[in-house]
Amino acid sequence: MSSETNETDIELRAQIDRSLRFPLLFFFTSAAVWLVFGTALGFISSLTLNFPRMFEGIAFLSYGRVFPAQMNALVYGWGMQAGFGVALWIMARLSRSTLKNPATVIVAGHIWNAMIMFGLFAILFGWGTSIMWLDFPKAFAPAVIGTYIVVMIWALGMFAARRDREVYISQWYIVASILWFPWIYLTANWFIHIDEGAAVIKTGINAWYVSNMIYMVLAPIALAAAYYIVPKVIGRPIFSYGIAVFGFWTLAIFAGWSGMNRLMGGPLPAWMPTFGSTAAIFLLIPALSVAFNLVKTMGARSDWVSYSPALRFTIFGVFAFVITVALGAIMSIFPAGKIFQFTHAQAGYDLLAVYGFYSMTIIGAIYFIVPRIVGCEWINGGWIRFHFWFSAYGTIAIVAFMVFAGMAQGYIINNWGEDFLTSVERGKPYLASLALGWGFIVVSNIAFLFHLGLMAFKRGRTDDVAPTLIHKQPEDYFSQPELSKEGANA
Amino acid sequence: MNSFRGFVLCLGLTFSLPWVFLVVIPFQATSDLDVVEFEVEGELVTFPPARVGEVRGAEVYARNGCAYCHTQMVRPTYAGTDMWRPGWAGRGGDESELRSTLPHDYLGEKYAYLGVQRHGPDLSNVGWRLADEKWHYQHLYDPRAINPTSIMPSFRNLFDKRKVIGQVADDAIDTFEKNGNTWEVVPSNDATSLVAYLMSLKKDFLVPESLAATK
Repeated sequence: MSSETNETDIELRAQIDRSLRFPLLFFFTSAAVWLVFGTALGFISSLTLNFPRMFEGIAFLSYGRVFPAQMNALVYGWGMQAGFGVALWIMARLSRSTLKNPATVIVAGHIWNAMIMFGLFAILFGWGTSIMWLDFPKAFAPAVIGTYIVVMIWALGMFAARRDREVYISQWYIVASILWFPWIYLTANWFIHIDEGAAVIKTGINAWYVSNMIYMVLAPIALAAAYYIVPKVIGRPIFSYGIAVFGFWTLAIFAGWSGMNRLMGGPLPAWMPTFGSTAAIFLLIPALSVAFNLVKTMGARSDWVSYSPALRFTIFGVFAFVITVALGAIMSIFPAGKIFQFTHAQAGYDLLAVYGFYSMTIIGAIYFIVPRIVGCEWINGGWIRFHFWFSAYGTIAIVAFMVFAGMAQGYIINNWGEDFLTSVERGKPYLASLALGWGFIVVSNIAFLFHLGLMAFKRGRTDDVAPTLIHKQPEDYFSQPELSKEGANA
Repeated sequence: MNSFRGFVLCLGLTFSLPWVFLVVIPFQATSDLDVVEFEVEGELVTFPPARVGEVRGAEVYARNGCAYCHTQMVRPTYAGTDMWRPGWAGRGGDESELRSTLPHDYLGEKYAYLGVQRHGPDLSNVGWRLADEKWHYQHLYDPRAINPTSIMPSFRNLFDKRKVIGQVADDAIDTFEKNGNTWEVVPSNDATSLVAYLMSLKKDFLVPESLAATK
């Protein structure tokens, strides 16, 4: 940019935040509503597994409808929508440009939410497609892609209008995600719904779609947030720019091949799941390099996870990313896949990817962003602590128990002398903790929605400009040589 | 990255590889998948044999999310022991008649519901394994009347209740008394289509030599 600007840095940031206030609050609060709704459905679906007679005769509460509704609510209602807000804000801040047309974005946001609502109604009232993560009736596809483009085009616009020549790794991830989503989504819809072809390849493409949604659409947004939040909170630059670039390109190269391993041993040409398995293992490279880079960035200040809500959620998410990929890699090799395929472990993996990794990272970003756009601080560190622990405990409990349940179940399924119902029986004890875990997650997110709602109505704390922390720092904390107070207020 | 255009080009290139080789080419290569005619002991047979009445039933199957708990895919021995589980890989008492599922088994379906989890058993060959329609109606209406430990939801929404006028209908699966009248429970059109679909699920037909390599 050649034109001379007189604005100071702080004024510019304030302008950016003002331009984004209403779209972001709209996205975050409606996403949080879907988060509560989706996790509540998760609780209901886990109850129906525990107590099959509970909602007997109520068709819209049967497992086969609640389960897809829950995943679609979490992925599109909460995940993608919260991602819109986070991506727009990070892009605006790093490009140092304001959002030119908030009204359009808000209108598109309303359409998106209306669509989610009708789509979930459709699933619950018996019009779902039973195609994973594409359960909305196919007529919804143009609306999904249309509104996505109307919202995200502004992120690209701000990127094009950036004032620095320098491009940050977070911007790379966001641009990549924006480029890939329409491509992946249109491909899946075209080949599954429109083009005539072999039914089994359509199913293969669906498995590919789910994995690509995780690693090429959701993950880049979460990693963009992590690469923004961690250095900001810590007050130090990223440990190694080279590793960041390496992690980015390895993700770009391998993620697109992943997914079909979900159907290993299926009626697809055997090389297709095999490529998926290989990619699932190679994804460890980007996952480990991102985690290594961010942990090194924290360095001696890693104990800040005790204080900063944004940092704590983000770091949890980053570790969950590594575990997601590791679990995916283990389940994708044949000896383990034999046991885990089609068991509770698969559901545990999906939950870990969507909730443990993506959602926790995005929640971290929301804790960082919201005070900056509304101009007041989170009301109570205790509530944030509650949100974190109940979410973290719920996720860990579900994932750990689902993996064990998968082993127990898979072992019996492969033991052909045992009655099939025995495999159901062996899974049952673990299902209790599934319901309990979901219960914890729902409760934590109700607290989050309430807290966020108060912030949206500017009922936050204004008595003190210092950020709300999970725990108070000890008096002498900043006298340690490594630490300075500027970082905490960045 | 110096230029934005170069960056986007690289993004496009990295992703177009899996897109082309994992999605587009396999899709096109199999889009003309069709029944195969071949000779068995001098007689011309087709693989798979013609199958009727399943399309609407598959829709009911999808709309109720059956595919979230039931798979329709029998894994070959390198990926599991599905083939040895009684009734899963076909009628066959004889081991040589058992087989894993093949792309041709799903011909005529809009989408192959290979499945997500196995909360319930595989249905690839349920048309052979449980060949009694009445059993399916009763099981859909009240799974726990048949398997007390089953966790399957009861699909009462697929059944109609009506007052008995004259005789109880042949296809009624239950009757009850209410306000001095006798009522009967009969399968709705959806239930009939769904059961017709389940009965059509048979994936153990004889495979021609030309395809046997992929068996």
